[in-house]
Amino acid sequence: MTLEPKSLREGGGILTPSIPWDIAMRNQRERILLALAENCAEKTFVGTTIADIVGTASVSRATFYKHFANKTICFRAAADDFLAELQHTVKEARANADSSESDRIRSVAAALLDQLAAKPDWTKLLLVELPSVDPEIVPRYRRLIIDALERELDVAASSDSAVADPEIAFGRFKVLLTGYVAAGEVERLPALLPELVYIALLPYMGQDSALEQAQLTI
Amino acid sequence: MTELSDQNDTFPLGAPDGDFAQDLHLWKLPRGRHGLPRELVEQSQRERLLAAVIRVTAAKGYQASSVADILNKAGVGRETFYQHFKNKEKCFMAANDALIADLEVRAAEAYAQPGSWPERVRHGLAETLRWFAENSQVARVMMIETGTVGTAAGDYFHRTFRRFTALLDEGQDNPTLPNLASIAAGGIFARVYEEVTLGNGAKLPSMLPQLTFELLLPYLGEEGAAAERDAAMSEQAAGEPTAERTPSISN
Repeated sequence: MTLEPKSLREGGGILTPSIPWDIAMRNQRERILLALAENCAEKTFVGTTIADIVGTASVSRATFYKHFANKTICFRAAADDFLAELQHTVKEARANADSSESDRIRSVAAALLDQLAAKPDWTKLLLVELPSVDPEIVPRYRRLIIDALERELDVAASSDSAVADPEIAFGRFKVLLTGYVAAGEVERLPALLPELVYIALLPYMGQDSALEQAQLTI
Repeated sequence: MTELSDQNDTFPLGAPDGDFAQDLHLWKLPRGRHGLPRELVEQSQRERLLAAVIRVTAAKGYQASSVADILNKAGVGRETFYQHFKNKEKCFMAANDALIADLEVRAAEAYAQPGSWPERVRHGLAETLRWFAENSQVARVMMIETGTVGTAAGDYFHRTFRRFTALLDEGQDNPTLPNLASIAAGGIFARVYEEVTLGNGAKLPSMLPQLTFELLLPYLGEEGAAAERDAAMSEQAAGEPTAERTPSISN
């Protein structure tokens, strides 16, 4: 984004110049993304128009196009932002957990589910809308999550114990969550902690150890 | 509205991928006083409408297509359309139902054959993968477009998935996790969905051994699931029909 500061002040109110332009820009962008998520949750991505988004965000159409060339690019930005936010949640949960590997996995899984439950519109965007808006993004974010998990488990050192496909494990997780989200039960996601721990560990530790870890969360 | 819209359809499978662009007017009954029973006429209209909504959606997308597009494609009048369906959404969802019913019948039939439970799961899965390979183009359109229909479609997904996982529940003698059937089937569903939406549906049958393993793993553990994977591999090697047909060069 290479915008001149003055372009934001054009036609602005008397207070506008006192807001630093980058903060104003960020604020607009966040409002637009939030408006997109809210509208999509209510009437799906296809049913949402640019007019809906700018209306909810209280920005002008021109402002929308300063940030995003079209609705799909706006959608991708929203998905990327929420993924970055989830990554941040993971990092924090990791830092606050005990040093044992399985304890870290449990803490991270719990934090992740809490975060998803706290932002139902965004969760819906990611789980329900994304696969039809942009099927190609799914493998990319799956890779991101699997890589993070494998770093956590230091799988390179113990890859002989890999019995199942981590990509399938990701699918298990996704469909399990999508079922709850689609049924409008996002607030129940934190109760899926044992299942999530089981699914995440199954490919790396085998069924018995994964079940054992899952039961520790109950 | 009328009782017509509540009937159970089986999808008109005269229209697999190869005939996707087939002109639906060929399916029309003769005009005029043909003396055919009213029931048959209605069934023919309905089948054409279901096939038409899929074709129109494939060509234009669900949102951009209109009732007029659908009835023109099907060769029925506007009044006839509304005798069968209240609106475009009902027509689209009825086509979806018909497709899923067709898949369910085939999968359940394979699953009901005598054998051990893991064996029956494997055969049900094999039939499911073959169905998606045969109907990959139609399935792709419906999977992508269902997401655009509206918020009701999310609930629809949930109910359909539950019906499939209910089939698996009888194998659950290991009640350690409440969502075991979802966990078992979810990975398979996600993979099928992804391959079909990315246009790779034809290669699904070749993935049977790995997917059998993943489907049974949460129930049977590594050893039992690996035994079924190996059984799937030897059945494939023994020339069970798969979708891995090499295209003929001589045309």
